[in-house]
Amino acid sequence: MNAKFLLNAFLVNIEIAAIAMVLSLIFGLLLALGRVSKSRVVSIPSGAWVDVWRNLPLLFILLYLSLSLPETWNARYENLVPAFMPEAFQSGRVLAGVMGLTLYNSAVIAEVMRAGIQSLERGQGEAAAALGLPYWKSMRLVILPQGLRRMVPATVSQLITLMKDTTLVSIIAIQEIMRHGRILSSCFTCDPQPPLLQVFLVVGAMFIVVNLTLSRVSRRLEIRQRERTGTEVQAVTGLEDQVAAKADVT
Amino acid sequence: MGEFWGVLERYFPEFVSGFFVTLRLVGISFAIAMSVGVVIAAFRVTPAKWVQRIGGTYVEIFRNIPLLVLLFILFYGLPSEVQFSRVTAGALGLGLYTAAYVGEAVRSGVFAVGQGQIDASLSLGFSYRDTLRRVVLPQAVRTVIPPLGSLFIAMTKNSAVIGGALQVQDLMMKARGISADTFQTNEAFFWAAVGYLLITVSLTFVVRNLETRLAIRR
Repeated sequence: MNAKFLLNAFLVNIEIAAIAMVLSLIFGLLLALGRVSKSRVVSIPSGAWVDVWRNLPLLFILLYLSLSLPETWNARYENLVPAFMPEAFQSGRVLAGVMGLTLYNSAVIAEVMRAGIQSLERGQGEAAAALGLPYWKSMRLVILPQGLRRMVPATVSQLITLMKDTTLVSIIAIQEIMRHGRILSSCFTCDPQPPLLQVFLVVGAMFIVVNLTLSRVSRRLEIRQRERTGTEVQAVTGLEDQVAAKADVT
Repeated sequence: MGEFWGVLERYFPEFVSGFFVTLRLVGISFAIAMSVGVVIAAFRVTPAKWVQRIGGTYVEIFRNIPLLVLLFILFYGLPSEVQFSRVTAGALGLGLYTAAYVGEAVRSGVFAVGQGQIDASLSLGFSYRDTLRRVVLPQAVRTVIPPLGSLFIAMTKNSAVIGGALQVQDLMMKARGISADTFQTNEAFFWAAVGYLLITVSLTFVVRNLETRLAIRR
């Protein structure tokens, strides 16, 4: 019974993470393309946008959005959200949660992708141009497939961070696993009452399982890619903007 | 526009106290993360397999668990005999969490030094400890400074989680309080954001400066 209560809530985390992951990858790619654009009208604003959101604490962004999104947006979201979505998604606060996660993570992923694109030798782009490929075609067929492939490990490690960060939406009162954990450990009618330490050790274990699976899958993907295409992946050891920092230096 | 500066003027002491609470959290966590992280890295590069495994397990656990869960366990979950204060529990949690990443960064720095140098040092009669201390670490420190720098910027951002989870009055929670008092959410959060950017941007400069100063001229 209690396990089911926690697992249901964990499903909310996974769903929020999945939505935010897809959105962050899409917007991250767009921002990265904007940042490497030759036109300064595009590259300067997208660079500034990325730098601002990347350097603010995620929780701070979430809290700000939850306090400042106009009521009408929340209402519109609540009307639009399909009824089959879990109960936690019916609240307008999820909008702020997903938006915050996307704003922050798309900025970080944009930096990762930009580093990947810029790590390619200049010759690649020049050769594509010499072959007569127009800009977008050379991007799509030559630059992106190689540049992004190098960044698979870095991107996945950011997605794992995103998965962990879904717990932060509990602070803006979305009913996910942290909330349910608190409810469970302060439940006085339960017999026996589950101690908080154990509840949260279980929660932690759930995250470890999901995140280790994610990183295993990414490692398999990486090895297969290397066998097929001979891609040299960029090594990552840490989290967040580490790769981006490396790209700044060179 | 007048209101914009008005909020800062009226609540300046609040912002400043929140700023210093954030700085204090970051400072304590930094010390913990560095010391534990270096120990973890040392564990992961020792020849003994079982010691390596301890370090590896630490890294896998702390890197895959959400910081919020860790903070809840440390503050609400421990038996009452080991009750920490909010700031201590928060900084300890953030420090231990970041230590896993520090460990990984330092380890990859150690591996960057190259087996040849280690072999050379051992064959010159240095003990394992001396090899680590006099040959490997001084070089590793240089390669790990950029990744460590971005880790500590990330840590500064993560310090906001302590405020939100354990109700510590840091910069973010001050902004929340001020916005509740005045209903001027944009202004309150704007000035707090300036505070955070002040820390992260100056950290970026410190790191860049350290890098150029410590760079080996070959």
